[in-house]
Amino acid sequence: MPEFEAIIGLETHIQLNTDSKIFCACSTDSWRVPPNTHICPICTGLPGVLPSLNEQVVEKALILATAMNADEISQASFFARKNYFYPDLPKGYQISQYDEPLAVNGSFELPLPEGNSRHITIIKLHIEEDAGKTVYKDAKRLIDFNRCGVPLVEMVTGPDFRSADEVAKFLIRLRQLLRWLEISDADMERGQLRCDANVSIRNVGEDRLNTKTEIKNVNSITNVRDAVQSEIERQMREVKAGGEIKAWTLDWDDQRGVLSKMRSKETEADYRYFREPDLLPIQTSPSAVAATVSQLPELPLARRSRFSEVYGIPEYDAEILTEERSLSDFFEATVAAHGGNPKRVSNWVMNDVLRLIREQDTLAGELGLRPGELAEIIGMVEAGTISSGVGKELLEQVRSSDRTPAQIVEEDGLAQVSDASELSETAAHILEANPDQVAAYKGGKTGLIGWFVGQMMQETGGQADPKAAREILESLLEG
Amino acid sequence: MAPPEDLVTKTQQSDPTISSEIFRHLVRLAALELDDEEAEYLRRELNQQLQAIRDLESIELPTDLPITSHGVPYSSETRPGLRQDRAEPSDKADAILEQVPEVEERFIVVPDIPHTELE
Amino acid sequence: MSAEICELPAHEIVARLRTGDLTAEVVLEATLARIEAVEGGGGALNGDPNGANGIHAYITLAEERARAQARAVDRALEAGDNPGLLAGVPVAVKDIFCVSGIASTAGSKILANFVSPYTATPVVRLEAAGALTIGKANLDEFTYGSSNESSAFLPTPRNPWSAGHVPGGSSGGSAAAVAAGEAALSLGTDTSGSIRQPAAFCGIVGMKPTYGRVSRYGMIAFASSLDCPGPMARNVKDAGLMLLAMAGADAFDATAAKVPVEDYLDQIEGGVRGMRIGLSPDFSRLRYPDADTGELREQVLQPEIEKALLESAERLAEQGAEIVEGVDLPAVQYGIPAYFVISRVEAASNLHRYDGVKYGYRSEGEAADLFELYRKSRGQGFGSQPKLRILMGMYVSGEQYEKRYYERALRVRTLIRRDFERAFERVDAMLAPTTPTTAFEIGGIYGDSVAMQYADLLTVPANHAGIPAISIPTGLDDSGLPIGMQLMGPDFTERRLLRMGRALEQLQESRPPLVQERVGA
Ligand SMILES: [Zn+2]
Repeated sequence: MPEFEAIIGLETHIQLNTDSKIFCACSTDSWRVPPNTHICPICTGLPGVLPSLNEQVVEKALILATAMNADEISQASFFARKNYFYPDLPKGYQISQYDEPLAVNGSFELPLPEGNSRHITIIKLHIEEDAGKTVYKDAKRLIDFNRCGVPLVEMVTGPDFRSADEVAKFLIRLRQLLRWLEISDADMERGQLRCDANVSIRNVGEDRLNTKTEIKNVNSITNVRDAVQSEIERQMREVKAGGEIKAWTLDWDDQRGVLSKMRSKETEADYRYFREPDLLPIQTSPSAVAATVSQLPELPLARRSRFSEVYGIPEYDAEILTEERSLSDFFEATVAAHGGNPKRVSNWVMNDVLRLIREQDTLAGELGLRPGELAEIIGMVEAGTISSGVGKELLEQVRSSDRTPAQIVEEDGLAQVSDASELSETAAHILEANPDQVAAYKGGKTGLIGWFVGQMMQETGGQADPKAAREILESLLEG
Repeated sequence: MAPPEDLVTKTQQSDPTISSEIFRHLVRLAALELDDEEAEYLRRELNQQLQAIRDLESIELPTDLPITSHGVPYSSETRPGLRQDRAEPSDKADAILEQVPEVEERFIVVPDIPHTELE
Repeated sequence: MSAEICELPAHEIVARLRTGDLTAEVVLEATLARIEAVEGGGGALNGDPNGANGIHAYITLAEERARAQARAVDRALEAGDNPGLLAGVPVAVKDIFCVSGIASTAGSKILANFVSPYTATPVVRLEAAGALTIGKANLDEFTYGSSNESSAFLPTPRNPWSAGHVPGGSSGGSAAAVAAGEAALSLGTDTSGSIRQPAAFCGIVGMKPTYGRVSRYGMIAFASSLDCPGPMARNVKDAGLMLLAMAGADAFDATAAKVPVEDYLDQIEGGVRGMRIGLSPDFSRLRYPDADTGELREQVLQPEIEKALLESAERLAEQGAEIVEGVDLPAVQYGIPAYFVISRVEAASNLHRYDGVKYGYRSEGEAADLFELYRKSRGQGFGSQPKLRILMGMYVSGEQYEKRYYERALRVRTLIRRDFERAFERVDAMLAPTTPTTAFEIGGIYGDSVAMQYADLLTVPANHAGIPAISIPTGLDDSGLPIGMQLMGPDFTERRLLRMGRALEQLQESRPPLVQERVGA
């Protein structure tokens, strides 16, 4: 029995996070907005209207194209009309790109768990407008045009994925990149990142492509993985049973976790593409492309490897610290301000700062705690000026006030107490108040020393230097 | 949907005429319901028009002749700039809905598409 | 008095308003009275095709809107404010432009009940200049025709020079209204000659500006790469005035060029001395497909038109222009075949949006499913001409035919454009007849879609090339029907074309016969 391998290609649709729609001034943000409110004559296709292209759409699509290493960005790319009747498409055609897309021939190196990577080709990348939304009710379709004209980039990959898991990993990386570049919010549940998957199988060792099926309308990364996996398994069962794979279009029902064949009438098409006469070609001069390339931030995967190489932090740390651009900037700025061991900074960021970020539901850059302040706190802990417990509490205090860490320590008297006479006095009080524990200690239960230190810390409001306190307690108890 | 293969080759081999089969295909693509008399008139006119445009095929065109999207070329001086990305709410949403034949709670209503159940 | 107001040139109305000699309200009431006298009722769905032997230029009158505008103009004048370039000038808007709050029908049943929520840019600009929007003029359905007979709104307009003849099309109602004094100006559209041809048939001036000179926003699209809104007027100066009020870039039209608008009037009396004006044999050798065999055969121009062409050239030469004969434009003969393809592909796509879902006509009774709703609404809502264009567009843009027809047609357009570019190295403008014949009889051609299209034979080359062209009335033929000559110039040379046109125009002293019948000579 031959072994099968899966061949998967993706067609992703990425909603760009512009303020206004691609061809009109309506807001793109219609989350929880009543139906048909963010609409105007243009995006509802009234007679006589014309599109006028949003500059930021071109800018953001260009950023994505350069980030995807597209080596051919067209100097003049053209819009085309894709003609078909559908109620969510008010003009009866979608303004898209066809024979001269914005960019072709890109690539993405997808890291795999084994340490190697999968080379994903980006066949093409083009700009188009989104359609409206359909809600089904009884035997009716209810149409909402709020989403009509929201800008999309369609990005088509080669048939380069070999498992459902790779597809899921790619989507996670893509989502990270889109947010990193600040060109899309990439929330799959809100339809800001959508993906159709083309799936086929073949015997290992073959290089021909067999008939593929297309899975449409999947709205989360988990669902994409499940849908693709289930389709791979179905095709294998089918072929093993001597059946034939037909070029179906499939719909994923995430409630029941099953694929179903789409209604045939909805999948037939003769789009009769032709150049959109209402729009001029998009001019992308080589200098504009060069400017975009030069302004491109360091991308997450590059930053991840640099972090582990340059700062010597574990890959696990580097992965988490580069999940999101603002966090990675924060980490790097803190390391620079701190000047000491980056791993120590990493521990603080990954544990305490991340917790604060989650609590506040914000980004590192908007947390209110500046990298210099974190570095100062870590420095004070390292110098023994404050205890690490006080340091952790300081994070929130600094975040929510205008005072610097040093001011707070000074003004609130948070510095550690290591003065021997002050500590001896407190220790004497504690021993006096707890004769039973003293007796037990003297009877051999020396482990109680931790309890005594705890009492010291409590008594001093955490300011006692625990090491000094222990030494004094021991000498009093044993003396 | 493309017309059946045999129709394509047939029309490409002979003079272009629109057979009743191709005509039916076009009418379906165009989403037009026609009565017989009108269909007959339209098909006859289409075939006459096709004869008129047959002329085009005999013109010798240099292979490197570019297509012209608009007669007037646009230069960097004459092409208008792109629109700034600034959202401005339209005040026409309700007036647009007033034109819609059937509305339900601000949704535009259309009949459903018949289902083809899965195998 | 009031009858004469309706013959006043627009620029004269503006001047008299400024001197206090006239008010906008007086102009408006005179115009409404003229409409009452000559119109014989406007077009209506299921109207009587024979009509009442009037002009029947309008589909919708906008009296309320016009009255409010007239009052605003008069108030501005009283307050000493600038009332605008077109203050108090009555304008008929071809019913292919959306005007907020008014039915915008495109002459089609499918839009008969459509009331636009917004106003087209050219109309916005005319109204801002103080023009009075009198109403919406009848037209061929979706502009698809050259006779105005395809409108769903009946009766269709008559030629004011002869009730038995068409006014031309598709801006037939516009031309008839202006010729009959039912408006001083009209806003028309020209995709293959739809401004110039009816202007020639009705004895008025019609200008197709350079593509992109006037915004198309709000003009219901036919062939988007060719459509041009433009002025229709009784004299060249008025056409220039109207163009001045409308031209220029528009944030709502990405193809409206960012070329500065010139003063079209300051040099209009400057004459043609030293200008080179070309004549081409390719505008006289006409090739028509034979009605029976479809074979192409050559046909000569109507003799009076041939004669008018030579007289026009002579008149320009007498005023000092240099006439350059024998300018070759060999590709213009392919104008109609290329147009058949390009315009149909774009039209089919532009008509996709009329589906009974969002606005306009929706078929009555329950539709079993969505696609039946589409088929019924479109089948019942569109007339034969849109259907023909849709089907032809579907055919020639189908994947397997696209290269054979559509792409080829776009290359032929390049050839035509290059012909003109070469010609304009030698001459400042080309002079040619606007139409091969004067107005034809009602019912004479209608129904034969090929013959109808060939009425645009001489006008369509300028649309392919995108260049400006102006049709100028130069007299009447032996049966008293107007003849028009057109001047075509390089991109954005409207100012020079208007100046040439001013030197060429032969204004008719008397009212057209149909107007005389009703309001006297
Ligand atoms: Zn909008």
